[in-house]
Amino acid sequence: MLSRVADALYWMGRYVERAENITRLLLVTDDFATEAMGLDEDLAHAAWKDLLAIFPAAQLTRETPPYAPIALPYLLAFFADARNPYSVSFSLRRARENARAVREALTLEVFVVMNETFLALEKWEKKPPADGPGLRDALTSMHRGLFSVVGAIDHTLPRDEGWLFLQLGESLERLYRTAYVLRAKLPGLLEPPAAGELPLQPAQWRTLLRGLASLEHFRKVYGTRLEPEIVVPFLLFDPQAPRSLRYGADAVARCLAEITGGGDAALAARLTGRLAAELRYADPKRPDADSSGLLDRVADEVAKIHDALEARFFVT
Amino acid sequence: MKWVPETKGFDEAFDGAGAPRRHYRALISLLESFTQSDIERRERLQKLSLIDQGVTFTVYGEKEGVERIFPFDFVPRIIPAGEWRRVEAGLVQRVTALNLFIADVYGEQKCLKDGIIPAELVLSRKEYKRVLRHLLPSRGVYTHVVGTDIIRNDRGDYLVLEDNCRVPSGVSYVLENRNLLHRVFPELFTQYPVRPIKDYPLLLRDTLLRAAPRPGDNPTLVVLSPGVYNSAFFEHSFLAREMGAVLVEGRDLIVEDNHVFMRTTRGRQRVDVIYRRVDDDFLDPLAFRRDSLLGVPGLINAYREGNIGLANAPGAGVADDKAVYAFMPQLIRYYLGEDALLPQVETYVGFRPDDFAYMRDNLGTLVVKTTGDSGGYGMLMGPFASKKEIDAYAAQMRKNPSGYVAQPLVELSAHPTYVDGAFNARRIDLRPFILYGDRVRVLPGGLTRVALREGSYVVNSSQGGGSKDTWVIAERSL
Repeated sequence: MLSRVADALYWMGRYVERAENITRLLLVTDDFATEAMGLDEDLAHAAWKDLLAIFPAAQLTRETPPYAPIALPYLLAFFADARNPYSVSFSLRRARENARAVREALTLEVFVVMNETFLALEKWEKKPPADGPGLRDALTSMHRGLFSVVGAIDHTLPRDEGWLFLQLGESLERLYRTAYVLRAKLPGLLEPPAAGELPLQPAQWRTLLRGLASLEHFRKVYGTRLEPEIVVPFLLFDPQAPRSLRYGADAVARCLAEITGGGDAALAARLTGRLAAELRYADPKRPDADSSGLLDRVADEVAKIHDALEARFFVT
Repeated sequence: MKWVPETKGFDEAFDGAGAPRRHYRALISLLESFTQSDIERRERLQKLSLIDQGVTFTVYGEKEGVERIFPFDFVPRIIPAGEWRRVEAGLVQRVTALNLFIADVYGEQKCLKDGIIPAELVLSRKEYKRVLRHLLPSRGVYTHVVGTDIIRNDRGDYLVLEDNCRVPSGVSYVLENRNLLHRVFPELFTQYPVRPIKDYPLLLRDTLLRAAPRPGDNPTLVVLSPGVYNSAFFEHSFLAREMGAVLVEGRDLIVEDNHVFMRTTRGRQRVDVIYRRVDDDFLDPLAFRRDSLLGVPGLINAYREGNIGLANAPGAGVADDKAVYAFMPQLIRYYLGEDALLPQVETYVGFRPDDFAYMRDNLGTLVVKTTGDSGGYGMLMGPFASKKEIDAYAAQMRKNPSGYVAQPLVELSAHPTYVDGAFNARRIDLRPFILYGDRVRVLPGGLTRVALREGSYVVNSSQGGGSKDTWVIAERSL
């Protein structure tokens, strides 16, 4: 397929995934911050601030009144503010621009549902909901819209090369973001709690799992034991959780193998293979000792894989 | 429901006494059976459907890349079988003659030698591409796709207003309008045998593939678009999708060894036919405009070597020049030995001194156009212009008389259109689409554009125009 089209589909996959990740993290963080607010205001604030580490180039561009709830500037900036390069607005607009440029490579269903979701968002951009509950409501319906986009992709696209590039973008973005989420959240969570600080720890672990859309799966496998020795290896190495690092690296490797037909020694395929092997055969018993080193390495490798993809497939 | 017929020109649906014409009776009584609120609900549905599907065009000049929908009026225009038969025959004749003319001016130039049309007038056009002389495309077909604009005068005669031989657009709206009307007003189709149009993309594909230099070898067809910011991008993408072709931009193509390839994830892939939706000047910076970023360097050489099919063929634009248009009746007679079946609007050509003198003295009653421009740019509407505007225009004209042509103002026909809660008469035109494949075929109907503003003559989408579904009634019916 045309390199330009593959490039656009890859970025469409990344941006749809990113928009969904931002939406989910906003909803989950808002839940946690509301729960924590009365108990530990600093912790609630820190949860919001973590978003700036998870999306490092993000900007809080909206002015908010001095006594507004702490959630408001974050909700506004990350949802419907097109100036913030890591807002839902910005991401979905890019996804839709990419989709429009390669409409003929998509189905009508995919374009229509993407367009509907985007047009709803445009209305919120012009007139954002004024308060927390209004924003939550808009985010929830945005979340559904994004799921419809993914559903239309799944149900109507042929499993051809274009689909593989969409999946590749989605998987790579997901893997990258999981690494950033864990990097932002784990150090604080793994510190031994000071005396009298205990009550919120389970809520933080629960929030982390929900933020990576894995809470229900975790409960089915491990029940309600939210202990670091279990949760951390689960998020790093679980072979079935769609947002574990191992699953993510495997997904990227699978897409690449199909795109290259397996026999290609392209740099991107080698980098991905090595990363997937490391995550597959890592020792799950002792991850916390060097997990921060591992997370840095994953983030670096994913960035390298992206560059290699660009050189191999998009700039030809 | 209120119906307001046109009083000045020809009304498509009502006769001079204000009674519905025979072929509109069933439609009018059907529409009468809807309540106002029902009609308005359905109008909302169709508008929403256009917005959601992104059936848009891009407006230039305003904020960059503003996407607008092309307003759709649900009252269909109906053309009886007999009327269409005459229009169709006229178009087939005209497109046949146009191609003979183009082949001639790039070949032996017999029509110039025989003095049918002044040589200087043809050869001085910027659309005449000297580098393409003696380069005959396969089977002499230059215009695989033509869009000819037709209007009706106050007697209801169909007149050709202009031919578009380069990159005529609008056919995607013809197809989308039909889809839309099928969904939103299915009842309207119960009383009329409307000729189908939805196979157009297949016909277009067949037509274009005939330009392939190595036929039978499963040729690769691409649609070349200037890109997503072009006003007709929706149509480029639509046609690529409907034909199962690849949509490319200039930067996706590369010429090596006089063969054209596209850049793919698996390396370079050979291209056989390019349905190009960019103007000649932007096709190849080596052959035409050097500053073109849209083009493909070396494309014209590959074409010269016979390694790529281009549709429409470069250089075809010489035939839709407004001064050449004035000579079409003579050219049809010259090449085909027949009188033109479709009349056209009387035209004064500034190139001829007598004509120019007449134009200069009668600017207030004429519509004056520059020969090079299209889409209504550089035009003077004499009857609606102020003395000051006319004087300024006359001064411009004197600098380059042969750059101008003039026509009397034709009172366009009008058609019931749902505006402001009633069926009001609004002026319309018609752009049929003509394909030249194994033979010349005409898509039944075409794009009916409507000037939505009261009293307006301007049907262009960028200036308050809308469009309608166009019904051609099947033979031996009604």
